[in-house]
Amino acid sequence: MKTKLVLTFMLVFALLLAGCSSSSSTKEDESGKVVLKFLHKWPQPEYAPYFEEVVKDFEKQNPNIKIKMEAIADEPIKDKLRVILGGNEVPDIMFSWSGEFARKFVRANAALDLTPYLNEDTAWKNSFIPASLQPFTSDGKNYGIPLRFNGKFFVYNKKIFEKYNLQEPATWDEFLQTLDTLKKGGETPLILGNQDPWAAIHYLTGLNQKEVSQDVRMKDYNPGSGEFTDPGYVKAMELLADLNKKGYFMKNVNSSSHDMAKQLFFAGKGAIMYVELEEFADMDKNMKGNWGFFPMPSIADGKGNQNFITGAPDGFIVSSKTKHPKEAIQFLKFLTSKENSLKLVKEIGWPSPIDGATNPDTALKEVAEGVEAMKKAEGMAEWLDTDVHAKVADVYLSNIQLLLDGSKTPEQIIKEVQKVAKQVQSEVE
Amino acid sequence: MRFACPFLEGEDMTRTFRNSRTALLFILPALLLILMFVFLPIVLNLYNSLFRWNSFEVGRAFVGLEYYGRLFKDPIFFTALKNNSLYAVISLLFQVGGGLVIAAILEDKLIRRFQPFFRTVFFIPSVVSIAVVGLLWQLLYNPEVGLVNGAMKAIGQSEWARSWLGDSEVAIYAVVAVSQWQYTGYMAMLFILAMQKIPYEYYEASMIDGASKIKTFLFITLPQIKEMILVGTVITVIGAFKVFDEVYIMTNGGPGRSTEVLGTMLYRAAFRNDEMGYASTIGTVIFVITLTLSLVQLKLGKSGQEV
Amino acid sequence: MEPLVNTEKVAEFRSSRVNLTLVKNRLFQFVVFIWFSVFALLIIYPIIWLALSGLKSNSDFFLNTWSLPKEWLWSNYKAAWDAGIGKFFLNSVLVTLVSVMAVLLLGSMAAFGLSRFHFKGQNLVLVLILSGLMLAPQVSLIPLFKLLQGLGLYNTYWALILPYVAFQLPFAIFLMRSYFLSIPRELEESAIIDGCNSWKVYWHIIIPMGKPIIASCALLAGMNVWNEFMFALVFVEDSALRTIPVGLMNLRSQLNTNFGIQLAGLAISALPMIIAYILFQKQFVRGLSAGSVKG
Repeated sequence: MKTKLVLTFMLVFALLLAGCSSSSSTKEDESGKVVLKFLHKWPQPEYAPYFEEVVKDFEKQNPNIKIKMEAIADEPIKDKLRVILGGNEVPDIMFSWSGEFARKFVRANAALDLTPYLNEDTAWKNSFIPASLQPFTSDGKNYGIPLRFNGKFFVYNKKIFEKYNLQEPATWDEFLQTLDTLKKGGETPLILGNQDPWAAIHYLTGLNQKEVSQDVRMKDYNPGSGEFTDPGYVKAMELLADLNKKGYFMKNVNSSSHDMAKQLFFAGKGAIMYVELEEFADMDKNMKGNWGFFPMPSIADGKGNQNFITGAPDGFIVSSKTKHPKEAIQFLKFLTSKENSLKLVKEIGWPSPIDGATNPDTALKEVAEGVEAMKKAEGMAEWLDTDVHAKVADVYLSNIQLLLDGSKTPEQIIKEVQKVAKQVQSEVE
Repeated sequence: MRFACPFLEGEDMTRTFRNSRTALLFILPALLLILMFVFLPIVLNLYNSLFRWNSFEVGRAFVGLEYYGRLFKDPIFFTALKNNSLYAVISLLFQVGGGLVIAAILEDKLIRRFQPFFRTVFFIPSVVSIAVVGLLWQLLYNPEVGLVNGAMKAIGQSEWARSWLGDSEVAIYAVVAVSQWQYTGYMAMLFILAMQKIPYEYYEASMIDGASKIKTFLFITLPQIKEMILVGTVITVIGAFKVFDEVYIMTNGGPGRSTEVLGTMLYRAAFRNDEMGYASTIGTVIFVITLTLSLVQLKLGKSGQEV
Repeated sequence: MEPLVNTEKVAEFRSSRVNLTLVKNRLFQFVVFIWFSVFALLIIYPIIWLALSGLKSNSDFFLNTWSLPKEWLWSNYKAAWDAGIGKFFLNSVLVTLVSVMAVLLLGSMAAFGLSRFHFKGQNLVLVLILSGLMLAPQVSLIPLFKLLQGLGLYNTYWALILPYVAFQLPFAIFLMRSYFLSIPRELEESAIIDGCNSWKVYWHIIIPMGKPIIASCALLAGMNVWNEFMFALVFVEDSALRTIPVGLMNLRSQLNTNFGIQLAGLAISALPMIIAYILFQKQFVRGLSAGSVKG
């Protein structure tokens, strides 16, 4: 009797166990197929279908390969990617920002060197706009394949600009005059939603680049040699703080998120907003032609190159642990083929890094112009929060909110940056 | 996770079975799970805090107690401690103090017939997931669309309106307030249940003496439920040092690091700044704090029982 | 301060003051009523606002925050469900059911063992289990995460279920043990005389007699597991495994959020618990009352 009861319990528990494990995902090859795990960062209903379609097409053309797709949203993926890379089931292909964000994985030998694959297929390599591949390199080797070529631009409400007879400003002084006119006219000159502080960091991305000379900045952004002692860093931050002090930003910037702030811009409650190229499609849908854009104005006495544009490609890296590098590359080629790039541009309005894919026929006129502007630019200022070491980025990110609510000064913040940069230097060796 | 906490009972049980092997068979599965997933991690955590490592690189470097030294010099650590303590104090005031008053009033015979309605409604927020509550209040606090500022204007106090979660001076209070919204009804419910166990004769006696309501509350109700008050106090205080979800969801420690609590500080160190060792150090400190608080509680509980 | 101050409990039998008492009582009732109604409104209104805003379009939500939806977009709820809430919901149901069942089974067994046996080291075991009540889950976050990775359980349902069960067990054992202790022993004694062994006593006497507390435990553990956020955030990564609280966070995009759909998702995930609470209030309350105070 006793044993029977024990057995019953064990059975019940075993059933429970079995019931669960059978429903959890299986990762093994089924029927000899090569299974590739593919991780991207667009789970939203607006974008996910595009990837589903592409994957379906790919599987149809390559019946021996099965793609297991996963998506984690923008903010969480910044934390998750590290965790995933330390796990046992690293995706074969995964999303990454360019710059330091990807280089950190390169340093940890987690990312596969893609140079040979690109050199093997020069047609593929040459189909990219060169400036979109470059940020994914480390020591001259390619580690990432860009999917999007994203830039940051100021968009403005045309009606409001016409009302005050304003032109697109080309220099920072003109920009300030424009803002001043708007302010005097009772408008909210700049819309900014800085609840998630990357929004203001994107301002600083461009300002840092324009204020600090390229060599110095590259040395500082490198975790092994970062010092941040150039006075340009303080100056860049002062420019941002001044916009706030003069009351050009909307009120309560720290408590609105970027997407909420955008709704205010759509509703005509502000004149200018700083947005990414990938948002242009949304912009046009809501503003119906009543908008234009311009890049960050040049700063007269800035030591950086004034012909850079803020922005960066983002795309995919391949895990160094992958068992199927060939198939992974095959999928990446498919993903970045002209046909799928055109589809990307058409269907979700994103700017593609494939030369010629983003043209006035496929894309919104403004998106095509934006990509053109980036092609003409002499370089890119990559997102500050993904281009410096995570700990330095964290200091910038958390303090930028305090800069905007007036509780810290640029000097104080840069001092903290310097301290952490030093600490990072000693750890990265 | 919230629960009331136990007092170890020492009742004299009639022992039905004496076979200790059978007893172990009954207890072992649960015990093993608890040991493995609750206790083992605590030991591992201590060990992990002695190394510099991150989640995606293989190697780890021994650093000894370096992180402990750094933690006690880290101003953010003290911000977090301050915020956790603030959480504890305000929650005591509202959840325990306010909950007591609400419970007493609902138990008053003039109000009692409305009790079922009010106590049900007051309790509802505590069954809703913090993820939902956090995201909801993030919108309610928003200065453009939020109802909070709207309500301030509606009652003619528009100067009270502000950028609740975006102002480093008030953000932590705004976050703490949400917890009060969520859990005051829960505490009130606990107190009501305890009050219902007070024999009615006690009240009759005080009525005959002509004692006022306040006096009855102070001299009859409170002493009778002092165990429950102690339990409530402990749940609230320990809970205040376990806070993570609401801060992570509503502000993620911002603006700046002004709303950082120990839990979010740990998470940030581990998963954003790639410093698992430092995060483990913070974990150990949380452990020491909650352990100390529990021991104090056990001690108080014991002496409370003896009296 | 509190309206209590405004009144004074006056003994009923002093007839000379009956009128005054009546007025004071009415005033007391009135003030309390206003006060509590405001508090109740502060709780109910946001929840209704949430459900209603879930029916709005983005611009309607931003421009007419306070008013009723211009167009009742029931499609938002469907969109939220399709965008993942449906999947997350089912995951939550699965994880909660399995965890609760395991908690009840293992917990009642342990509680039986601790309430009906006497053996060496019993107090140590009891203290060990109950001290699990006090520990902050944050402390275990990183080691558990490494442990689960080491066991190959990371990113499976088990990565959630096992820690949930382990963290819910102490309270369940505590509740059930005190209840089992109060079950009279005469029944068992006669059963033993009839030749029942301990397993039979557990299964045929204790479990049926303990049903009320088991139901309460199920509700409390279920509520905690359903709402858990931090472990769910860290221990799984596949969206196919995500539970509702984390899924909600993921639905929120950085550049472009449809707030109507997001709010609909929030409403969908809040509702089951509110309904369960209202339906099973009695069991909820019993669990609380048994757990909070001895006896």
